[in-house]
Amino acid sequence: MIAFSPIGNHEPAPALACTGVSKRYGGVQALSGVDWELLPGEVHALCGENGAGKSTLARICAGIARPDSGEIRRGGCAVAWSGSDEARRDGVGIILQELDLFANLTVAENIALGNPALEARRWVSFDALSRAVAPRLEEAGIPVDPTTPLGELGVSQWQLVAIARVLSLDAKVIFMDEPTSALTEDAVERLFAVIRRLKARGVAIAYVSHKMSEIFRISDRITVMRDGEMVATCATGDTTVDAVIRQMVGRPVTAGEATPPEEPKISVLGVRNLSTRKLRRISFDLADGEIMGVAGLVASGRSELGRALLGLSPLTGGELTLADGTYLPRGVRHAMRSLLALVPEDRRRDGLFMRMSVLENTTIAALRRYSRLGWLRGGEEREAALDLLEQSRTLFADADLPVGALSGGNQQKVLLSKWLLTFPKVLFLDDPTRGIDVGAKDDIYRLIARLARDGVGILWVSSELPELIANSHRIMVLHEGGLQGILESAEATQESVMRLATGHGPAP
Amino acid sequence: MSTAAGRGLRGAHQFTRPFIGLILVVALGVFLSPRGAGGGIIFLSGGNLTDILLQQGEIGIMALAMTLVVIAGGIDLSVGSVLAFSASLVGLLLVKWEPRLPTGAQIAAAVAAVLLLGAVIGAVNGIIITRLRLQPFVMTLAAMIGVRGLTRWMTGNTNIDFGFDAAASARFSDLFSQKPLILAVWAVLAVAAHLVLSRTVFGRYLRAIGENEKAAAFTGLPIRMARTATYVACGAAAALAGLVHAARSHQGNPNDGVAYELDVIAAVVIGGTALSGGQGTILGTVTGTLILGVLTNVLRLRMVDSNVELMIKAVIIIVAVWVQRRDRPSINS
Repeated sequence: MIAFSPIGNHEPAPALACTGVSKRYGGVQALSGVDWELLPGEVHALCGENGAGKSTLARICAGIARPDSGEIRRGGCAVAWSGSDEARRDGVGIILQELDLFANLTVAENIALGNPALEARRWVSFDALSRAVAPRLEEAGIPVDPTTPLGELGVSQWQLVAIARVLSLDAKVIFMDEPTSALTEDAVERLFAVIRRLKARGVAIAYVSHKMSEIFRISDRITVMRDGEMVATCATGDTTVDAVIRQMVGRPVTAGEATPPEEPKISVLGVRNLSTRKLRRISFDLADGEIMGVAGLVASGRSELGRALLGLSPLTGGELTLADGTYLPRGVRHAMRSLLALVPEDRRRDGLFMRMSVLENTTIAALRRYSRLGWLRGGEEREAALDLLEQSRTLFADADLPVGALSGGNQQKVLLSKWLLTFPKVLFLDDPTRGIDVGAKDDIYRLIARLARDGVGILWVSSELPELIANSHRIMVLHEGGLQGILESAEATQESVMRLATGHGPAP
Repeated sequence: MSTAAGRGLRGAHQFTRPFIGLILVVALGVFLSPRGAGGGIIFLSGGNLTDILLQQGEIGIMALAMTLVVIAGGIDLSVGSVLAFSASLVGLLLVKWEPRLPTGAQIAAAVAAVLLLGAVIGAVNGIIITRLRLQPFVMTLAAMIGVRGLTRWMTGNTNIDFGFDAAASARFSDLFSQKPLILAVWAVLAVAAHLVLSRTVFGRYLRAIGENEKAAAFTGLPIRMARTATYVACGAAAALAGLVHAARSHQGNPNDGVAYELDVIAAVVIGGTALSGGQGTILGTVTGTLILGVLTNVLRLRMVDSNVELMIKAVIIIVAVWVQRRDRPSINS
């Protein structure tokens, strides 16, 4: 092909091209007539709100789903893959948003599965497998023993394993669907280094993300999608965050509501020398109406702090006071009675009952209040739930439909509403904006701010520092289970937080 | 937005769906039924229809409680053995036991003791499953084997034949084999189970626990208590079915009720309850029980070989579950 190309300034042949690709799921037109090209050696960001069709496009281009109509060309030839294994053979790999890994298998086995080069034909040599896999793990920034069962690792480490798996494919085209949704900042840096190396090798990378800062740092071109259609493709240097967000939502959005600092109030949660297997002598006070951001890297103990406060991880030391009295964590029910609530990180696994209705999910934690002698009072239950869902700006067609039918952002709002209905005085939110779209994030910031105005003390975790800084009064930074410092958000910058989070101490 | 009309419509749909299979099977029954001397359809005669209900009474009562167990994410394989245990024990208490009590009091004491012990077996199942974290299949399989052994050992592996005339066992047998009583008990329990599932906090908890146990734990739901309660209900229901069984067969046979658990589970599954937990209705289970009953009845009226009957049942189970899978709304991931 190269021999026939005119010499000089020209576009290289696309590594992957879609023409007129459409896909329907039931009553929803997920993609309609999409034309799109991915060039070798480029990082091409796909942006759009949830439901815009980014993931559908990625899944079709990686052979997981088949288009209803339209054509996909890989290196100039039309392809019709009947599964992702065929796409892999043609050099196309994908990192899925819902990680398709197996907790009961080892890291090495997870990486080998579905990999034509690593999957043994008859007998497996686990030593050889480990040797083959170790450098990939190193490259992805997760230097664990390849024989570790995946179930022993945390969510963010799963994501790194998924990245290592795609690296091991030596693919020429890689789709990354929200690859950083569970990653902390340092892991994101390592991923970006990996992406730059791949790019230099001529690998084409499609990068699906909600995080504007990442997209603008790593991508060469940006394609914006809305309602299953292409809105625009342009070079990253020629556009701005605001312009992309406007194209995504079709309306201007504020990046985050900076909450005004409030005068010191009374402490609702006092923590002294809290220690568990993973936390070392944490001490802080949370005032009523205060929003405390919790920052930290992988395994820094961010989620562990929430688990410790509820008693899901046994304390090895420390004293807690809640409101006026001493508080000894004894589990979720006891915490609920003490007006302390935890919204878990993984909403599908730990938060929601996907096949139960929006209404039932909203009231399940506070159901006793809407019952008498064990009998439900349906009218009261419905009224309370609908009222709260409206306050949290949850969008749904029908409160009696399964919550699994909602978009990620609206699922997250249902999960928040479920806990708000228990009227907590202290609320721990574990990464509530993970993997949801810009509009829904904005609604969650507003909800947090309003709860604080109502006097709730809030601890919230986020892997995105800008939003954490913009929407908190103070930032608590954890590093390897220890508290490195608490910064006033007015003084906090991404740099100062990162210094603490990486264990470098406060800026000079 | 949600409207009352929309809810009503979907509610109506949910209400009718389990019946469609039943209507089909009844239509098949009418079609296949032999004609009587006067040209009447034997299948539709009043006596035949109530016989179907009566024959399914034992399975039906157990299937109600099994529905609760399965919705909460469990299974109970021990019901057939508990039924035999209950039938044999009531026999021992009425035939071998000679207390200085009026006959009525002796029957009441025996019935109470049997129901209580059935509940205790269920409680043991539930407590071991939830405290020692044994899989429900494994624990209740062990209970199925162990209770069968207990029953045979306690009876010396012989039938306890009931007496006649004024004997306590005879009066018990007369009372508990009455058609109206059995049907009334079944109906009352079905309504009660339906209300528990649809109108109580406990019922909502069962569905939540069966759907996602991790989320239930993070929500602080009383998982162990709720699941144990379903096994207690199942043990008591199996004991009650055993009382009916003993009365109807006029004996306590320690070897009866073998493989009944499979009929019970089949009725639950045909009724649309997911074995994976979280979803199911009592209405569906009652319908599933009746479908199996009508089918058996029609095939027997036609004098079909009972082994062929089993094969047809197998096909019905597969078709019923497949049809329900197809129109279950898919969840967007």
